[in-house]
Amino acid sequence: MTRREYLSKQKEMGRNLIGVFPAYYPKEILWAFNAVPAEIWDPPLEIAGANAHLQPYICSVAKLGLELILQGKGDILDGLLFPHTCDSIQNLASIVYDYLGLNKPCYFFYHPKAPYRNSSRTYYLEQLRSFVSRLEKDMGPLDGGELKHRVEQGHHLAAILREIYDLRSQGDFSASNAEFYRVIRQGEYLHPDDFIPLLEGFLGRSKGGDGKGSAVILSGILANPPEILGLLDDLGVRVANDDLLNCGRRLLMEPGRMEDPFEALTANYFAMPPCTTKDSPLDERVNDLLKKIEKSSTKGVIFYMVKFCEPELFDVPQMVAAVKTAGVATLIIDVDLNQGLSGQLTTRVEAFVEMIS
Amino acid sequence: MSLTKSIRYNFMKDIGAPAVMGFAKAGKKKRRRKPNPNFGPPLKCANRLKEIMTRHYFLSRYAEGARPVAWVTSGAPVELLRPFDFYTIYPENHGALCGAQRLGPELCSVAEEHGYNQDLCSYARIDIGHFLSGKTPVGKLPRPDILFASNNICQTVAYWYKVLAHQLKIPFLLFDTPYNFEEITENDITYMVSQLEEMIPILEEVSGKRFNNQRFEQIMLLARDSSFTWGEVLATMKTEPAPMTIFDAFIHLAPIVSLRGLPVALDYYQTLLDELRERIDRGIGAIKNERKRLMWDNIAIWYKVRDFSNLFAEHGMNFVTATYTNAWAETISNMDTDKPLESMARTYSLVVLNNNLNHRLGLMERLIKEYKVDGLVIHSAKSCKPYSVGQYDLKRLLMDRLGVPSVVIDADITDFRAYSEEQTRTRLEAFFEGMED
Ligand code: SF4
Ligand code: SF4
Repeated sequence: MTRREYLSKQKEMGRNLIGVFPAYYPKEILWAFNAVPAEIWDPPLEIAGANAHLQPYICSVAKLGLELILQGKGDILDGLLFPHTCDSIQNLASIVYDYLGLNKPCYFFYHPKAPYRNSSRTYYLEQLRSFVSRLEKDMGPLDGGELKHRVEQGHHLAAILREIYDLRSQGDFSASNAEFYRVIRQGEYLHPDDFIPLLEGFLGRSKGGDGKGSAVILSGILANPPEILGLLDDLGVRVANDDLLNCGRRLLMEPGRMEDPFEALTANYFAMPPCTTKDSPLDERVNDLLKKIEKSSTKGVIFYMVKFCEPELFDVPQMVAAVKTAGVATLIIDVDLNQGLSGQLTTRVEAFVEMIS
Repeated sequence: MSLTKSIRYNFMKDIGAPAVMGFAKAGKKKRRRKPNPNFGPPLKCANRLKEIMTRHYFLSRYAEGARPVAWVTSGAPVELLRPFDFYTIYPENHGALCGAQRLGPELCSVAEEHGYNQDLCSYARIDIGHFLSGKTPVGKLPRPDILFASNNICQTVAYWYKVLAHQLKIPFLLFDTPYNFEEITENDITYMVSQLEEMIPILEEVSGKRFNNQRFEQIMLLARDSSFTWGEVLATMKTEPAPMTIFDAFIHLAPIVSLRGLPVALDYYQTLLDELRERIDRGIGAIKNERKRLMWDNIAIWYKVRDFSNLFAEHGMNFVTATYTNAWAETISNMDTDKPLESMARTYSLVVLNNNLNHRLGLMERLIKEYKVDGLVIHSAKSCKPYSVGQYDLKRLLMDRLGVPSVVIDADITDFRAYSEEQTRTRLEAFFEGMED
């Protein structure tokens, strides 16, 4: 079933569909409202109309997201959510909300930026509550029991993802790179009632396989072009872990076990791996990456950059320097999304693999 | 802090700086630029401004070790630092200075050689380039003890200052100002006030000084009065002909950015205001033949300020207002010593770049009406996403609602490698023609 078919089905089941721009948002709250968050990262579209709103130096994540709306591909959605990720998404939210005349609610979610202090925690907690109040206006009252249930479900999901990532990092998970990210990324639109069984099946099938061989880690925003994953498979290289904004950086945390669901969600946010879009100090990012490298005996890191992505591009030089100092090779891919795998890129990846093999 | 360095700093402040300024002034008198027939007499205050800023950068060379030093972003609530006697350096102002001296690409290249992508904000690249190479037209910038930023102007400053914090291993204070998507909530205000409260012990530790509330309030008042006066300076351009141009304002905003909260800024703007009022009384315009009045959107193109100033004056067009220069006056009425931290939170979080585009549209409409603007020049600045994203929509809406014609110039604030003279000329010629219809 395609993503679109799945979402249409969800809608038929009476669920609201909320299009969500990158990156951090309390998905459990949407689930509790019987809504399905459909994340918008790299829809397979040609950029056309978005160029009338956004300059050539704006990243293709922002452009493709806008393009999706302009081309009417988001008509199925009941609302849009813009987390405060970067300056581009911030202003894009305002363009969409203020000027596109969409007849659907637009939500905005501001999360506190590091360095975190006590005020950050209090603020995040209050932001969750006001997000709920905002949603209640459109979707009716929140069922407290349902929120508790969805937060627990989120914990369960996080535990499975951690197990999968751990096995993969140790080389005990047999799925190919392409298959791995195809499955993990389905979490960007599947309802947890469907995603959890899918992941459990995936875990059962792939556990214990022989995944030794050269290992690399992916850092950056998202694995696009995805064809690189297949190329790495062909070259016998395993992606052992990632620090991607759309994957590991949001998925791999030890969830908070508080009784109060809002407290638990707050703990989750602050327990997530460090991220530039949350202004995490560079030391934390560097150390996190080095730890991942050590844990999986990785020989190379591929930085999957989206062209013009200011938040990530500021962190990369320090991360590259630290990785190189640790004796690990680096490859930086800085591209517009959906451009496929060029001959030049293939050659660069092959040369990189040769170096680490 | 070191005693020797303090003595040296104080000596330079009281004796060295005045002497150096005196020499500079004497040297300056000899050079005379040929007057441009399209302009009115130049502002007399310009020399005083130069003295103030030269002194500021000159003294900064001796500040390290004598006074606690902070590098600060243009939109950060500096009033909180002043009671601790920090010597404040504004890398954005330094970046603008480098840009105006056409040093942007040179310093940016240093950062690029170290892996900083050419697409990043060029103020940041200049600063990182300066940090890595020590190159600067001001002699030397003091090493900071603390970094102080607010993301009320952009998120970029936080990414940039994190790099510095990582390199220098010094504390980084971020004043996180939630973006005003619909409206600033009480929750946002409480969060910002708490942050300011949490910063005080850190500032006490770094500076070795206790927070003095009375001093803080005096500084708030000074900062408020300076911003008000700056607002009045800008408002003189409502007069026809305007006694100054926005290109003058780009230069004269240095004290409100870099010396806010210090008596020298207030004194300066009072003197400037007096001069401008006198020009109004005497009917003196910044340009001789002000036929059309324009508005500028976005930060200046620092390496083109003089060229553009001449070009537009030749066409009898004067820039009389800008969203950019207005930013240091726009929200100051919120400042209130009865509610110091809360009012600071409002003052700083409600600035134009931390607001949704509808707010910006409203502001532009108001400025267009109040300043009797005939046309708009939009600088699409590659460096600055928060200022630039949305400009195409604003352009369209201002045309639809007020019939104001506009032109977009693709450029960058300091990195002239992102600027095409030919393309800009073509666009401006079409704009000039359109303005005559
Ligand atoms: S790719 Fe970078 S700049 Fe683009 S939306 Fe994501 S975080 Fe923002
Ligand atoms: S130019 Fe724009 S992005 Fe750069 S520091 Fe200034 S406000 Fe931030």
